[in-house]
Amino acid sequence: MLKIHDLKASINEKLIIKGLDLDIKAGEVHAIMGPNGSGKSTLANILSGKAGYKISGDINFNGELINDVPIEERSQKGMFLAFQYPLEIPGVNTNNFLKTSLNAIRKARGQKELDTLTFLKLVKSKASELGIDENFLSRQLNVGFSGGEKKKNEILQMKLLEPKLSILDETDSGLDIDALRIVADGVNSSKKKDNAFLIITHYQRLLDYIKPDFIHVLSDGKIIKTGGSELGLELEKTGYLNL
Amino acid sequence: MIQNFGFNLDKIKNISQEEKSERELSLSLFNKKGFPNKKLEDWKFTDFNKIIGENFKELHSNFILDNNKKFLPLKDFDHNSITLINGFLNDSDFKYEKEENIVVNKYLKKHTNKSEVKNALINLNDALFEGGYFLDVLSNYKFKKPLIIYNYFSNNLKNTIINNKNLINLGNHSTIEIIEYNMDLSEDNFITNNYTEILLGANASFKNYTIQGNKSNGFFYKFIKSSLSKNSSYEDYIFSSGLKFNKIEEEIDINGEGVNCNIQSGLFLDQDQQQEIKTQINHLQPNSKSYQKVKNVLNKNCKSAYQGKIFVEKIAQKTDAYQLSKALILNDLSEFNAKPELEIYADDVKCSHGSTSGNMNEDSIYYLMTRGVSRKQAIEILTEAFLFEITDSIKSTFIKNFIESKLTKQIYGH
Repeated sequence: MLKIHDLKASINEKLIIKGLDLDIKAGEVHAIMGPNGSGKSTLANILSGKAGYKISGDINFNGELINDVPIEERSQKGMFLAFQYPLEIPGVNTNNFLKTSLNAIRKARGQKELDTLTFLKLVKSKASELGIDENFLSRQLNVGFSGGEKKKNEILQMKLLEPKLSILDETDSGLDIDALRIVADGVNSSKKKDNAFLIITHYQRLLDYIKPDFIHVLSDGKIIKTGGSELGLELEKTGYLNL
Repeated sequence: MIQNFGFNLDKIKNISQEEKSERELSLSLFNKKGFPNKKLEDWKFTDFNKIIGENFKELHSNFILDNNKKFLPLKDFDHNSITLINGFLNDSDFKYEKEENIVVNKYLKKHTNKSEVKNALINLNDALFEGGYFLDVLSNYKFKKPLIIYNYFSNNLKNTIINNKNLINLGNHSTIEIIEYNMDLSEDNFITNNYTEILLGANASFKNYTIQGNKSNGFFYKFIKSSLSKNSSYEDYIFSSGLKFNKIEEEIDINGEGVNCNIQSGLFLDQDQQQEIKTQINHLQPNSKSYQKVKNVLNKNCKSAYQGKIFVEKIAQKTDAYQLSKALILNDLSEFNAKPELEIYADDVKCSHGSTSGNMNEDSIYYLMTRGVSRKQAIEILTEAFLFEITDSIKSTFIKNFIESKLTKQIYGH
């Protein structure tokens, strides 16, 4: 599904990703762990198509080279990034925005756009699966939301848009145990044979709830170690410094 | 520069010799000053003389009145109506109200000595005004449905200037909600120079929404002079996007305690358009509030300005006055100017002002794009959100929805 070969990326002439290879197949859950400044969030940004980076190497998504594909088209092709810091957008109603987003993606996929009633029914059922209060949907997008609410909103969007590849950028940071469980349940219940997840995190904590098939350790812009889910537990004991 | 304005009083019939000499005096005052230019402090951001020179080779006030045209009223909600065509009162309909409480007539000349008026456009209006309306609402009458003032401009207005006056007098304890709906059915370049006076009785409540129904090549100038009695409430919302040129000046005298004065505006400007809102709120009595919020979105190559002055008289203690302007500039060739001014002689007041202008937040655009919407659509969503902060404070849901649908049309162009 996602095949990255020899990815190098720099911002303002500073090299951040220094030759990265990654292969994620449908049905798999991958985790990337690593210390601060190792390039984890840069990788998430680059995969989403964010401007400002100079990149070389290949990023293949479902067999297509997407290095130069614009942000919204990546989303339409089935890539989803759950933000580490979801933005507050004053004046934009959450429901209206979710509908605009879903319909933009449906339209691009050649599916019929949903009318308001069908959409509301769908979003309410997804929200209740995640234990999200309906009132939350009529508020302005992320405005005044707590850290946990913002992250839950990201997971709601993920469930609604049904992406092929979901990238979760430190979704666990700032979450209490209950919210962490809701986020993890959201991922686990979305797992299918034809989709995949890339979970970026500092800690083993989230991985107690979402069991990854592979864990990669990112350090100084390179993957220095790859293993199964036991690698997370090992890192928890030894830390990144001893690798 | 226009050498000869060609303004004369010959067309104005049935006036007394006294009125004629007053008008002649006003015309001579205008002729001495000419159209205002940027050397005048009130016009520093808007050189009207230059704008006229660039857009009009000739200018006259002798247009033919087309009274037979029929217009279709809006069907969005039940309403009363006053219809103006080219500034002249054409029709009125108050079928939802007890009509004995309402007087509507064409504007009648009041005898006031205006020779001290500094504003040349008011001098010109005093000299040449024709048409306009007078609306009198007796005391203790609450309107059941809103009033739409249809302000239509028909064809055959090329190179003309329309001067008219309106007067609204709202009695004690009366309430009214007015939508001023401007519709330009010509493609001509013309000027309208309007003077409106609004008088609110004690405890009266007045709400006004100005909305532009379509794009227009017209050059609109309006001076509003309001006088507010104790405990009255005055709310004015300006959504006049789509005009080639628009300047609205509001001078408001707060003449009693407990007054609530609220002016808000949300404008979207596009290619070669220019707008300015200038306010002066005179707090002349204690314990009153004024609130102003002006938001502008400037798309390609356009100009906008806000000049807001708050004046607080020595006896006007406990005044609470606030003003804020925010501009979102989407293009480097566009320009926004703000000039807040406070003149305070009382020592126990709360007055504040703020002004910000900047580009759209790129991170917000990025966030929305990662959800599948194009950059263009993301900018439209954020523009709408910026302006809808103003419509959010409109309490009447159907008026809010109506205005938002018009605003959306202005932003998306369809």
